[in-house]
Amino acid sequence: MKIRALTTAALLSLVPAALVAQEPARKPAPEGARVYIIWPADGAVIPGGALWVRMGLQGMGVAPAGSAVAGTGHHHLIVDSDLPPLDEPIPNSPNHLHFGAGHTEARLELPPGRHTLQMLLGDENHVPHDPPAMSERITIIVPE
Amino acid sequence: MIPLRIAAVLIAALATPLAAQAQDRKAAPEDAYVYIGWPNDGEVVGGRFKIWFGTRLFGVAPAGVAHPEAGHHHLLVDTDLPPLDEPIPNDPNHLHFGGGQTETYLELPPGRHTLQLLIGDENHVPHDPPVMSRRITITVR
Repeated sequence: MKIRALTTAALLSLVPAALVAQEPARKPAPEGARVYIIWPADGAVIPGGALWVRMGLQGMGVAPAGSAVAGTGHHHLIVDSDLPPLDEPIPNSPNHLHFGAGHTEARLELPPGRHTLQMLLGDENHVPHDPPAMSERITIIVPE
Repeated sequence: MIPLRIAAVLIAALATPLAAQAQDRKAAPEDAYVYIGWPNDGEVVGGRFKIWFGTRLFGVAPAGVAHPEAGHHHLLVDTDLPPLDEPIPNDPNHLHFGGGQTETYLELPPGRHTLQLLIGDENHVPHDPPVMSRRITITVR
């Protein structure tokens, strides 16, 4: 009896682990939600390479990472990189900047050259919505 | 039994004045910066126009979500600042964006109007110091 109870407990403890290991379900994005880079414009030339990127969101709200509120998410800015896989948490790297405190502006200091910027909203677990709430990818130029 | 009931009534009587008191204001960083991204001060706009809320070095969080360095926007239309030590009123002159929105469309009658942003914490109470924009004046055609 005791052994059986322990076995059941062990099996039960395995179930949540298996669930956690699965790909997180993607939250629906509200119809008409739009993510866009307010500034800079595509093709902008940024002397010195230091800028504040202003992140725009229409038809949804901003919420810090970890807070599950329907119709919200938090911003990620993808710098010089393609989109990450959309069915898992957005990576955290120098090319994938997280704004988990609900910030809507990003300070960048970029070296000379061409750079791409794209915004991608993540839910409380940093997973993109379905369909993904993301901006166009723009290119900006930092002169030598 | 009766003493318990009296105690309950006493506790209720004590709790009510506490709720009505001025609320504690959350601290905000000195460099938190809020501004109206569009329209500009002095702008002439059509009857329905977009307004976006700029927030720098501070975050946005929906009403009810407690975060040490985030709050949600309130747009003050044609009004002075409300008292800063109590929840921001909710009426046509004090628009709440408790869903964490960072822009909206406004429709105002022709004439001059003032706009100002004021961030509130999870309970709609302004921070200390208040995180707010300049008050701008626009003209609706």
